[in-house]
Order: sequence, then C-alpha cells, then structure tokens
Amino acid sequence: MAADRPPMSLPSAAAFPVLRWVLRVQLRALLGWGVALAAVSAMYVSFWPAMGDTAEMQALVDSMPEALVTAMGYEAIGSPAGYLESTVYALLAPILMLVFALGFGARLIAGEEEAGELELEATSTVGRTRLLLERYLALVLAVVWLAVLVGAVSLGLARALGMDIGTGPLLGATLGLLLLVLALGSVTFAVGAATGRRALALAVGAAVAVLAYVANALAPLLDDGAWLQRLSPFHWYLGNDPLNEGLGLPGAAALVVLALVSLVAAVVAYDRRDLGV
Amino acid sequence: MAAIIRTEGLVKEYGRGARRVRALDGLDLEIAPGEVFGFLGPNGAGKSTTIRVLLDQLRPTAGHAEVFGTHPRAGGPRQRARIGYLPGELAMTGRATAGELLRHLVQLRGGTGAERIEGLAARLSLDLDRPIRGLSKGNKQKVGVIQAFLHRPELLILDEPTSGLDPLLQHEFLAMVREAQADGATVFMSSHVLSEVEVIAERVAIVRAGRIVDLDDVATLRHHAGQRVELHFADPVDAGDFDGLSGISDVEVADHHLTCLLRGEPDPLLKVAARFHVTRWSAEDRELEDLFLDHYRMPVTEEEVADDGR
Repeated sequence: MAADRPPMSLPSAAAFPVLRWVLRVQLRALLGWGVALAAVSAMYVSFWPAMGDTAEMQALVDSMPEALVTAMGYEAIGSPAGYLESTVYALLAPILMLVFALGFGARLIAGEEEAGELELEATSTVGRTRLLLERYLALVLAVVWLAVLVGAVSLGLARALGMDIGTGPLLGATLGLLLLVLALGSVTFAVGAATGRRALALAVGAAVAVLAYVANALAPLLDDGAWLQRLSPFHWYLGNDPLNEGLGLPGAAALVVLALVSLVAAVVAYDRRDLGV
Repeated sequence: MAAIIRTEGLVKEYGRGARRVRALDGLDLEIAPGEVFGFLGPNGAGKSTTIRVLLDQLRPTAGHAEVFGTHPRAGGPRQRARIGYLPGELAMTGRATAGELLRHLVQLRGGTGAERIEGLAARLSLDLDRPIRGLSKGNKQKVGVIQAFLHRPELLILDEPTSGLDPLLQHEFLAMVREAQADGATVFMSSHVLSEVEVIAERVAIVRAGRIVDLDDVATLRHHAGQRVELHFADPVDAGDFDGLSGISDVEVADHHLTCLLRGEPDPLLKVAARFHVTRWSAEDRELEDLFLDHYRMPVTEEEVADDGR
C-alpha cells in the first residue's frame, strides 16, 4: 500500500477539495444506486412488448375505474410514450431518485454535522459558503448521474425495441426528471443546512415530495383542482406531457427557481447560524 | 504586543424559551503571544463553547471575542489558516485511510503541511494505511493532533488534546507543543485535569459555569490544589506527631497508615516521617474537582453558603 501513496513533497491545492472528498466517500453509494436504478428502468422498459403493446393491456386499463386511470396517468399507457411515462418517468425513476436525493441532501450538511464529521471541514480554511456550495454541487452531480442513467437506458431500449418515442421529448423528459429530483433534493438540503437537523430535513423533504405527488395525481379528479395541480412540482415536470411534447418551459423554469431559491436560503441560513450544536 | 486571543464579557446562550441555557456567562480572557495557556474546568463548564466561538462555529449571544485582533466571523478562512484546531469531540468514519484523511485535511487548507504528515505520524506511531473506521479512540485522537500541527500554525487551539492518548504519547504530544512554542506559536489548550496542563502551561484559567473563577500561574494553582500524601509505616504512628506541620492538613492516621493533604514543600513532612520506618509512600496530585470544592469554596449547599459568609 505504501508504494501507492503519491509523493507528499509538493504542497498543492486541488480544486474543489470538499466536493472531491464527498464524491470519493459516497462513490459506492452512487454506483450502487446507479446500478439499481438502471436495472429497474431497463426491466420496466423491456416489458413493453409483452405488456404495453397489447390489446389485453388496453382492455385492462379500460376496465379500471376512470378515476384510478386518471390518478395513475394510465390514459395513454397503450402508446410507447404513455407506457414509458406511466412506468419509468412518472413513477419508478422519480420515486427511487427522490429516495436517494432526499437522503443524500439531508446527509450532506445536517447528517454529517450531527455526526460531528463536519467540524474539521468547517474550521479549515474553506469558508462556510464555499463548503456549502461544494456540498450542494455533490448533490447536483449525483442527481445528474442518476438522470443520465435513466435517460440512456430508456433511449437505448426504446430504440432497441422499436418504440416510437422522439429523442427530443425523451431527453426533455429526462431533463425534467433531473430538475424535479434536484428541486426537491434542494429543499431537503436547505432545511438541513438551515437547521442542522437531518431528521427534520428528511421529514420536510419527504412531506413536500408526497404532497406534490398526491396533488398532481388527485387534482384532476376534483371539479376545481387545476389550481392545486399547478402548485405541484410533479405537475411542473409532467404537465406538458414531456415524452410526447417535450419539457414545458414554464414547468422547467419553476423547478429551477425552486432549486435556486432553496440554495440561496441554504447559503443565507448556514452563514448565520451556530454549527454543531 | 497585542493579545492573540481576547474575549470580553462573552455570553453564549443555547436553545429557546424555557429551555434556554447559558453556557458562557461573561467570560473574559486575554492570551499573550507565545504563551502556553491552560483552560481548565469540569465538563460542561463552557470550555468547548468558548473554543468553538473562537473558531467561528458558534456566534456569541453578547460580548466580544477576537483572535489576532479580529472577530472570528470577520476573520473567516484567512484567520483560520493561522490556527491549528483539535476539536474536543472528534468524529471520523469511513473507508478512507488515516493518511488519505490527513491529505484531504491538508487540501482543505490549501496544501500546506503535506510533507509533515509522515514524520508526525511516525512520531505518534500512527499507521497511515489503516482505515479510519477501524481506528481506536486513541488513534483517532492522533489523527486529530497531527492535523492540528501540520501547517505549523501561529495559534494552536486544542480542546482536551490528551484524552485517549497513553502516557508515552502524551509525552510526545507535550514535546510537540514545546517545539511549536519554540517556533513562536501560541497555545491555548483545555482540559478537565490539572495535571495534564500544569507541566506545559505557564498560566491557567479555571472556568466554571461559564465564567473564569481563577486565573493564575501554574505554581500558585498547584500550591492551592495540593497533593494527597499516603505513608505506610512499619510500626503504628501517632497523628499527634504530624498535626500542625507547615503545609500539612487533614491528617488521618489508621494504625500503620497515614494520609494527609500537602500544600507547599514536602520537607517538614518528610523530616518527621524519616524518624519512623517508612515502608511505602505515594503523593498524588489532586483533581481539579477537589480544588473547586475545598479551595474556591464553590457553594454547593446552603450550609456551605452560610460558611462562606462567616
């Protein structure tokens, strides 16, 4: 082992020391989540010839209560884009990615701070804001990594199975997925950065995610639910029917704004408060 | 010369409403350049709170703190580059090795001191290739000590530095502190055990309930604290021979066995003891807690308060 060690004679300052360390420590988790997410996405997409593209599937959906079909977004499950959305883009990928991103976002500041592992970093010559931004960048890169995997697997299998989905809309939907997960991950990160409480950050992040999902799914069943749906980040992502029409610009902008507002709030609150209490 | 560390009326409160706790209650400190300063007090007295204010981890509720003449918040990273800090509660986990963590910590400070990692690790016999999560408390403490000294800081702020280190390593640690001082560094170290700091510190402040209750040079403090002396004799002795000797109090004799409290020179006691056949002896420095209780007359019960007013 000793021979592997790089020479220590030259003092050198690496760029992004915090980010590099976080990615290094989290490498196994990132690879593990990536493999799991790619595998689940691949499995569901490859069911298309057996399930989606059949008269039986359409008959099954036709036999379901209309409200359930609406809530689950199954209206178009018989089309390639509708199937991919119902299974992967509107359900499995966001749920799995949110489970990861909320946990990761809560840990990046609050979790490590509660464990006492941030003290040496926070008392080094890395300023508070830079520490926070580098750790946020780790969240961004992690979410990008997972979204890219989902997009690549979906695009690859869609082409292999001859599914009629445009590349543009699929990439747009993938970007929307990325922004949705990043926005809700940012909310969680911000609560953690502002309070130093991991459990609180997770609870708030999960509550926002669940409410957003439910509001988007159930609002169409209400007589006057459009306003409620418009409040949901899930609607910002899915409202434009992204796998057919591409990602809607207002929705994408709303997700970016949510992420940025969270980040700014995190920076401001983190700079002001006591650390490690 | 200007003070390296100065606090004036430092107050720190935690929590809200009914659960509000005052951890620092008007703490005044002034530490001169090149000084080794001991910061003593029982757990919960406010030592770590003071230190964490100096490192800008905590923001004071009231009062003023400065390091190198600048408030820690205003000083920021530039100020912390001149400080080596060992936290009182050191948490480290992960698969990375001790060497990798130390190189990371060096990177966090812009790369200064990387060349000293191996030398300091060898001095404290720390195996740099062991994963951090498998390290004992003592080995983690070594990592903490090393990272504080790596960049030859002008100011060392060490919170309970010797906890977890065995006596041999404590000795090595003290040598490192002396070398840093010879290099011109100022050292501010906390402890809850007087004996840990008295061999190295010139001045000692005692903190209790968030205030400095005494500040003195070590010799004076040691004199106040005294030693618990035990003597075993071949034959039974009489307490009367020892009562009233200069610097001796609390004499208790049980047959062959004498215990007493010694403050000041042991000479009078030894001269008397030498008249008898001494089979065993021991002299132990008393803990800080004893010193609080008997010398500083910290009111503990209402009776003691009444005694104080006598």
